[in-house]
Amino acid sequence: MAKKVLNVEDDADIRTFVSTIVEETGHIPILAKDGEEGMQKVRGERPDLIILDILMPKESGIKMYHELKSDPSLKNIPVVMLSGVSKRTFLRSQMALTEFGDETVPEPEAYLEKPVEPEDLSEILNKILS
Amino acid sequence: MKITTMLFVSEFDELWFDALQSLLELRKAGLNHVVFLHVIQREKVAMRRGTGYLKQEERKLREIADIRFIDWAETLFEEGMEVGAHIAIGNVVPKILSVAEIERVDLIVTARLKKGKLGELFTGSETSDLLRRAVKPILIYNYASVSGKVGENPFERLLLALDWSVSAEKVLDYVLALKGSVKRVEIIHVLNEKDVGKLSKMEAHKVERENKKRLDEVCDVFAKERFDARPHLYIGNTEEQIERGAAEHRATMIVVGTRKSSVWKEKWSGSVSHSLAVRSELPLLVIPADA
Repeated sequence: MAKKVLNVEDDADIRTFVSTIVEETGHIPILAKDGEEGMQKVRGERPDLIILDILMPKESGIKMYHELKSDPSLKNIPVVMLSGVSKRTFLRSQMALTEFGDETVPEPEAYLEKPVEPEDLSEILNKILS
Repeated sequence: MKITTMLFVSEFDELWFDALQSLLELRKAGLNHVVFLHVIQREKVAMRRGTGYLKQEERKLREIADIRFIDWAETLFEEGMEVGAHIAIGNVVPKILSVAEIERVDLIVTARLKKGKLGELFTGSETSDLLRRAVKPILIYNYASVSGKVGENPFERLLLALDWSVSAEKVLDYVLALKGSVKRVEIIHVLNEKDVGKLSKMEAHKVERENKKRLDEVCDVFAKERFDARPHLYIGNTEEQIERGAAEHRATMIVVGTRKSSVWKEKWSGSVSHSLAVRSELPLLVIPADA
């Protein structure tokens, strides 16, 4: 059964790339250009998986991830990070947020650093959504 | 008035990461969100005879900007800050204004923006254009001057130039919000030499006394908020005296307000903020009347 995959990404070329892969794996792509729009789509569309960039206008993927994982109604949606920002930085930034009093959040289901091969992304989609 | 979000405009030739780091002192005043903006000038990718629009060049320039911003952003993310980035193509001033609006920034930071000589002759500099059109405070950051780097904390010692206009009140509010980042404020008012010259000795003393009283009152406002503030009354050409005051008191930044004035009036008579933006070696913080 086709599942909804939300891609939050400010680069139009990468949004096209990701939605092509999502469609090829038999799922439905939903697109958002930044973290702010991403959170609106999450609440409105209730996706089964989120593919999330980090450095974007309006709201970063770091903040959006933290919001998702701190919200009891959204925290079970699996997230795949797809970014030019390193995983090390991502994990440190989440730790830094906890230093300001926020709760610790779990690691994402997968972390892919750009550029990603289409096969790698398909494999992860199939693994998480099957 | 709180400074939580800062727009950092970089063409990469003039503002580097160390400039950004020196501004992180503003975290003590509440800064927690930095937005990067790089504008690719349209001429660099515009249509050319025989080749059309340079899409490949656009991709390359975007990629270069992206790599730099990611590198800068990683450091800030690891410190728990929120970071955003915009890479746009077009004219720099409209892009700055639109991103400042979208991101609801409290401060725009940019180096002096330059046009070609012919462009400046007919339309004025990009910096003047930005100062004229912006409704947000702008920091013209001349951190690398001929005489070397300006200090590590540009907010350490401010020279606050007041002209007793409505915008001066805005300037006061804004500087008070910088509490925590600022160590000392030198408050200066410049009396116009020509105006004072027309007065009798008695009248001139009266003007001097009134202005000193106002300066003392402003110092009291700062003292209440636990700032170290000192009053200074100068006389002469406003821009020259502000620069002199900044040098004499070893200021690390000059802060001024702007008044609303028409483009033509400004072209002919100039304004304090515009001429300081062009000539000052120190960082210049300009706070618009309608900020």
